[in-house]
Amino acid sequence: MSDLSVRSLAVRHRFRIRRLHNWELTAGIVVIGVLMLAALLAPNIAPYPPNRLDIINSLQAPSWHHWMGTDFVGRDIWSRVLYGLRVDMLVVAVITYAGLVIGVVVGTIAGYFGGWFDAIVGRIADTVIAFPFIVLVLAVIAIVGPGLKGVAIGIIIAGWALYCRLARSEMLALREQPFIKSTKALGYSHLRAIFRHALPNLVRTSLVYSTVDVVVNMLVLAGMSYLGLGQQAPGADLGSIIASGQSYLLSAWWITTIPGIVLVLFGFGVSLIGDGITSGELLQGAL
Amino acid sequence: MLSVRDVSKEFILRRSAAEWVRRQPGDTHLAVNRVSLELARGEILGLAGGSGSGKTTLARMLIRLVEPDEGQIVLEGLDVRAARGRQLREVRRRMQMVFQDPYSSLNPRMSVGAAILEAGRVHDQPGSEAGGPFVARLLDLVRLPASAATRRPRELSGGQRQRVAVARALAVGPQILIADEAVSALDVSIQTQLLNLFLDLRDELGLAVLFVAHQLSVIAEVADRVAVMHLGEIVEIGPTAEVFRAPQAAYTQTLLAAHPRHVALAEALIPGGPA
Amino acid sequence: MTALLRLEGLRIAFQHRTGSTEVVRGVDLEVGPSETVGLVGESGSGKSLTCRSVIRLMPSHARMTAARVEFDGRDVLGLSTSDLRQHRAHNVGMIFQDPFSCFDPTKRVGEQVAETLRVNAGMDRSAAHDRALELLASVGIDRPEQRFRAYPHELSGGMRQRVMIAIAISAKPKLLIADEPTTALDVTTQAQILALIEQLRRDSEMAVLLVSHDFGVIAQACDRVAVMYGGYVVEAGPVDEVCAEPRHPYTRALLESIPNVESAGQRIRRAGIPGQPPNPAELRPGCPFVERCTLARESCHDVDMTLAEVAPGHVTACPIVAAAVGAASSTRGRP
Repeated sequence: MSDLSVRSLAVRHRFRIRRLHNWELTAGIVVIGVLMLAALLAPNIAPYPPNRLDIINSLQAPSWHHWMGTDFVGRDIWSRVLYGLRVDMLVVAVITYAGLVIGVVVGTIAGYFGGWFDAIVGRIADTVIAFPFIVLVLAVIAIVGPGLKGVAIGIIIAGWALYCRLARSEMLALREQPFIKSTKALGYSHLRAIFRHALPNLVRTSLVYSTVDVVVNMLVLAGMSYLGLGQQAPGADLGSIIASGQSYLLSAWWITTIPGIVLVLFGFGVSLIGDGITSGELLQGAL
Repeated sequence: MLSVRDVSKEFILRRSAAEWVRRQPGDTHLAVNRVSLELARGEILGLAGGSGSGKTTLARMLIRLVEPDEGQIVLEGLDVRAARGRQLREVRRRMQMVFQDPYSSLNPRMSVGAAILEAGRVHDQPGSEAGGPFVARLLDLVRLPASAATRRPRELSGGQRQRVAVARALAVGPQILIADEAVSALDVSIQTQLLNLFLDLRDELGLAVLFVAHQLSVIAEVADRVAVMHLGEIVEIGPTAEVFRAPQAAYTQTLLAAHPRHVALAEALIPGGPA
Repeated sequence: MTALLRLEGLRIAFQHRTGSTEVVRGVDLEVGPSETVGLVGESGSGKSLTCRSVIRLMPSHARMTAARVEFDGRDVLGLSTSDLRQHRAHNVGMIFQDPFSCFDPTKRVGEQVAETLRVNAGMDRSAAHDRALELLASVGIDRPEQRFRAYPHELSGGMRQRVMIAIAISAKPKLLIADEPTTALDVTTQAQILALIEQLRRDSEMAVLLVSHDFGVIAQACDRVAVMYGGYVVEAGPVDEVCAEPRHPYTRALLESIPNVESAGQRIRRAGIPGQPPNPAELRPGCPFVERCTLARESCHDVDMTLAEVAPGHVTACPIVAAAVGAASSTRGRP
């Protein structure tokens, strides 16, 4: 039947054109791509080891030798920022998506089965969401102890609940759809119905939300490091670099400003991707 | 082959806060009231009725998408209501359902071929190890080209999606198809194609079909026998021609009278020429 | 009889980033005062958009052009915003397929009727309230005082449709447009609603434009019918004549494929129409039915879809049929 092939060609053609026109998505991917590349290749492109002390050359302004200057003990800021970005991006990706996976899985199961499991999960999730995010993270750090581990665990514990809620409410709607009901009629196991059929269809909202979440978590991570609760010295991460430059804000502005700009760039790029996905979605839905 | 006896279902509606405080039971809705019917091998039984007649609830109770409150459902000796685990899966394999809405009865993220193959594999149907030929054979059964296997549902029209839904149902090797308003959402010219498909499947595979519809005209086209439901009960049941030509029950008469009249068509499109 | 509504050469296209898709490709339609005209077609035929063009109710990305859209002698295309509002309020009433989504779920139903009266007829609160009760009664709602205070979700589909009709006729329009008014309803309710529309039409000499995919509904309720396919009107004429002697291959194939109760027990397979209704995005010049038509020839790709008369008041867009009918009547010696 030729009309089948013609129709699908038309569909694919339209989708491709929309991707190219989607400048937000492209721009976002470019920005994040560059940052990721920089972070990945940090050991290769960083001109100096991040912790090499060079007191003689401390507080140097950006120059040919030190592209972004040095800090108060002579460490090269450019190298520190690269390594810091590396640590931050890795940690943020892990904690955001760990939270997403936990939240989505629990929420989907809760929404699918309903009953007492859903009631309990719902109450726990609501309680977690009710806590101010940072307070919860700080509480976990107080228990576990300062350091990246504490921040990571704290953010995961504070973050999964929203994904749980998102997934659960989508599941409640999806459950009534005939194609989910037909998994029951077809005699598929619950496992298959949940993971093979329901989950792929509801993960998109959570993924879009995660782009916002990644930025928030990055800022929280940087904030915790800034407060001294995150990445501990001598390890570098964007927050701690910013903190270290605080006393020199007016004189050696580069210590604080450069990592700050990198943070902003990161947030900007992720938001672009998020916007790009959403507007791409809306157009795709109209097909 | 399928015997349904005295099956009932009562839905409990949510209680208002006042009723809960006073410990009164909330409103109940008796959707199906002690309904009995039989479905023979290779037979197409129509289930007619307006909205609220209980026909959809009854159809769903047969495969236990909705649990009956009482009554017996026996499929070739298997007790459907008591079935658990593997037995329940077997029951479900033998009775498959095709739903009304072609736009949401297929997983939008799965290709047609994958959906059909999965159904076959889950039930270890013969031939399902060889993906391509298995899917091609089923697509052929529902008169779709083999190239449809790589398509996603959104690339197909409503009628094509319904055919895919039928193919998926057939993939598990059922003996009974339950069509729950399966053609109601389709254009008339496509509807007729699907009705012919059901008739073909009955002839080629010996399938029995329980055809749930609210339009008597559609039922008249496919069903050998018809059961008319009203307010949860079967008010009339018998061979389609008899019931429609000489309805006994008042409700059947009302339904028939309400159907728009049919105008006889002229012989040929062009006077004196071919039709 | 001067036409109340006249559409000539109506074209409606949807704009999107990569171009535009024409969904209505050149439609001519006339509705006389006090006449019930049916517009029948399957999905994608353009019938819904056509009826909405009368009050210019278009989605934002739709572009409408026409040689003429005239209502009661006045041009509709050139109306200013305020005149358009008057036109929509007083000349034309419209009811839709899904009675539920047309209501504000948080307001009582009677209140929504009264609101229309206050806004469009300038009535004060109590006059609007009384008139709303009258209207509810006139559309066959029993216990109107009680139903006045109901919320939309508390009413059945048939009731909601009646209320929508009440709102539509509240300003005593000259034309009532009903877009698939019975599709979402039970067969018995359907018959009641059609009877109601007919009764209202007789009482107030209103014209009705009834859009449906169900030929049975059209045959029952309309005086004349226009059959649409692929964005064109392919046939139009008195409804009994079109149903008994269709003069377009699509109309005939459609009529043949309609299931009917009388065929119960007869083991005749009804022939559907092979293939699918056309996708507006894949349009080609010529007759849109060419791929599914039993009479199709090469020349069908060049057909310009103008309507030719084959009998008084009965037109078709198929030149093959038109020629054959013309030849047949001339061989029979008719002038």
